[in-house]
Amino acid sequence: MAPGGLFGRALVVDATDGTATALPLPDDVLRAYIGGAGLGAWLMHRLAPPRVDPLAPDAPLAFCFSPLVGTPLTTSAKFAVVAKSPLTGMLNDALASSHFAIAGKLTGNDAIVVRGACAEPSVLLVDGDGVRLQPAGDLWGLPAAEAEARLRERLGKAWRIASIGPAGEARVAYATVSHDGRHAGRGGLGAVLGAKLLKAVAVRPATKVAPADPRAVLAAARDLRERSFGPATAKYRELGTLANLLAFNAIATLPTRNFQAATFSEAPRLAAEDLAEARGVARDSCASCSIGCEHIYKGAGGRSTRVEYENVFALGPLCGVSDPDAVLEASGRCDELGLDTISTGGTIAWAMECAERGLIDAPWLRFGDADALLRAIEEIGAREGLGALLAEGSRAAARIVGGGSEAFAPHVKGLELPGYEPRTLQAMALGLAVNARGADHNRSGAYEADLSGRFDRLAGGEPHVAAAIETEDRAAIMDSLILCKFLRGVFEEPFDEWARLLGTVTGWDVDAAELRATARRIVVAKRAFNVREGWTRADDDLPERLLSEPVQVASGREATLTRERLHDMIEAYYRARGLQPDGRPTDGQLADLRIEALVG
Amino acid sequence: MAEAAGIVLAGGRSSRMGTPKAALEWHGSTLLRRVAGVVARAVDGPVVVVRAPGQALPPLPEEVEIAEDAREGRGPLQGLAAGLAAIGDRAEVAYASSTDVPLLHPRFVRRVLDAFDDDVDVVLPHVGGFPHPLAAAYRVSLLGQVERLIAEDRMRPAFLFEACRVRRLDADALLADPALAALDPALDSVLNINEPDDYAAARRRPAPEVAVRRFGVLRRQAPGPDPAVVAAATLGQAASAAGLTLDAHVVAALNGDQITRDPEAPLVAGDTVAFLSADAGG
Repeated sequence: MAPGGLFGRALVVDATDGTATALPLPDDVLRAYIGGAGLGAWLMHRLAPPRVDPLAPDAPLAFCFSPLVGTPLTTSAKFAVVAKSPLTGMLNDALASSHFAIAGKLTGNDAIVVRGACAEPSVLLVDGDGVRLQPAGDLWGLPAAEAEARLRERLGKAWRIASIGPAGEARVAYATVSHDGRHAGRGGLGAVLGAKLLKAVAVRPATKVAPADPRAVLAAARDLRERSFGPATAKYRELGTLANLLAFNAIATLPTRNFQAATFSEAPRLAAEDLAEARGVARDSCASCSIGCEHIYKGAGGRSTRVEYENVFALGPLCGVSDPDAVLEASGRCDELGLDTISTGGTIAWAMECAERGLIDAPWLRFGDADALLRAIEEIGAREGLGALLAEGSRAAARIVGGGSEAFAPHVKGLELPGYEPRTLQAMALGLAVNARGADHNRSGAYEADLSGRFDRLAGGEPHVAAAIETEDRAAIMDSLILCKFLRGVFEEPFDEWARLLGTVTGWDVDAAELRATARRIVVAKRAFNVREGWTRADDDLPERLLSEPVQVASGREATLTRERLHDMIEAYYRARGLQPDGRPTDGQLADLRIEALVG
Repeated sequence: MAEAAGIVLAGGRSSRMGTPKAALEWHGSTLLRRVAGVVARAVDGPVVVVRAPGQALPPLPEEVEIAEDAREGRGPLQGLAAGLAAIGDRAEVAYASSTDVPLLHPRFVRRVLDAFDDDVDVVLPHVGGFPHPLAAAYRVSLLGQVERLIAEDRMRPAFLFEACRVRRLDADALLADPALAALDPALDSVLNINEPDDYAAARRRPAPEVAVRRFGVLRRQAPGPDPAVVAAATLGQAASAAGLTLDAHVVAALNGDQITRDPEAPLVAGDTVAFLSADAGG
């Protein structure tokens, strides 16, 4: 019998012929990986052929649910999409929220894995009647939201849809998978579905699953909901993450013009403090969420756009663009095309610098030019003109362009950097460098340590390493339970509290120590997958620009992150994680992963 | 190795004041806490407070180190030796301060340290007709010479200055730094407090004027001009003046640089304090 909140099986679908088999998920595997991103890592070890081309039919893509999904616990309606990334060539998990998570789990599966490829554009249906493919030629070319709406009209309101946009169809290496306007955004998972000619995956609830202790779960849900209204979430509730922008500008951690600066003089034009009054039209929340972080602004054309710090940073300051209408328009177009805004902005910013340096022939592409930004987005979405190059991301494009442009391609492991300046957030610099997914602020929240006041954020060293590891471990658990990270501030003793939540749902007698071990296992499992796929020590790094060009903070102090300092922190990270000196997991760590023998 | 460390001498007898000067209150903080914090803002190495043997000190941040005079009441060279010994090989230069200078500005400390080069062992301000050996910078390698002077019972700093290379900075030289000229034009940084009347006069001085900015939800919670200019000698006072409570959900960036939530962090004229939401994710 499966633990509470779980079914003990994954559904493995072959998109080539629409058949499916059940993969049993043993209790010890579920307990070792929980669900979500953790379970996804285990599934990729088991189901992805070594060195598989991420866009090949053999490459699996998993929708992973988790024990907490479907409970009344706030923010628990989340799912992880996991695959080998076409952008990084490494393990990628991206999270999204809302009803797809609940309906997908209630198909009776802890995960739905898709392998193979369809013969024609199709939609995959999964419900109590099993799986089947339907032609989706009429949906091909549509924005994800429109495809989703048409499919629900066609199939019925009980169906929940995850879909790709035109960028996924065009296999843009950073295309998203979208549901209800939210994106599993990073790492190009939309391209993986696009390569399988799958426009969408539709799920319909077919069963129920009970937690081990329903009363305790209900009581915990009430308590958590109450706490979610408190000051720890006020920022998300009242202004949303865009509130970061002006604050980050004040502390020189707002990457600007492709990381040539850490402050943007025109940042006030994009500030939530003012734009919320002028353009805010609504607030929204994911299913089962009591925070309500989504802030929707109206652009010049009347189009409503969800606004977050990362999309405004990447399409605004990073590209030198300060016109709020242009940034909202660019963000809206990325949503429609199904493009990850961070990678889109990062790749375009890199291209703008290349164009200004004469390394690519695109005289129209200049920092600060809103029209150029919008044109570049269109070309990427269609893989036309310069878009054919930029659709591969900044790392691959820089390898082609050369001319020294690799030094300022803003990525780690191929994933473009988020809006946290590593030179002025040096715990975060480590977190970005070593994380399995690449440059990522959701798998390593080490900026919290930098902004805590406990360390000198401009002088990374030994104390920063432990802090970076702690945030990485916390993220591993939150992404596997799954709970939204915007809730993290309400937990005073997070591992203890998470263990209690997990215990009441599953019936496991799990405690904080076990959960910490689980976190370490998940981090190692991701790293081990990357090793299998060709990771080398050189992949744990930052772009040369960040290690050779200082930036100045308002006090006049120079923030310098040298290669030596970063590498000292990386070596200390390996030691603290118990890895081999070259960053590979030890045999003992691999034996703990409950996977087949690794290659490489 | 750091460029510069700080030494704050707190072991004096305070005989003229009649009460330990280190613990005297000035605009919401003790003199020692304030001076140690101001010095820390200007150096990249450790800050060492030197006390008399067994002397009780007011609370200090945990990163401030404590050293002890070998013997009580032997004057500044004794304290300087203890401070230099504690710094060891962690910095080349140390700024040495007395504890009784509430108007010390970090820009003054920087100005003195910036005058250091390979040709000198001491940078010694001359202001108001006097040398200020406890507002001066010393090469850490002078420790041996200082210890020899102590062993010879030659306890006046002047004996040290005779024996090493000294760069003297008068008021004009100090104020040639336009930033210092703007922030501390009267060179109040060297004004020390020896007697109760001095202390009373110092307390009558207003707290420094600082600019306060609030970001995100904090601006909504405490509306007001941005930036707002307030009188505040500590971070806690600045938060109160801005209508904010410095709790777990608020942090401050001082001049866009270090992040802190220490309510006793000293502020000085010209500072800009940015209050941010501590929940920075997204």
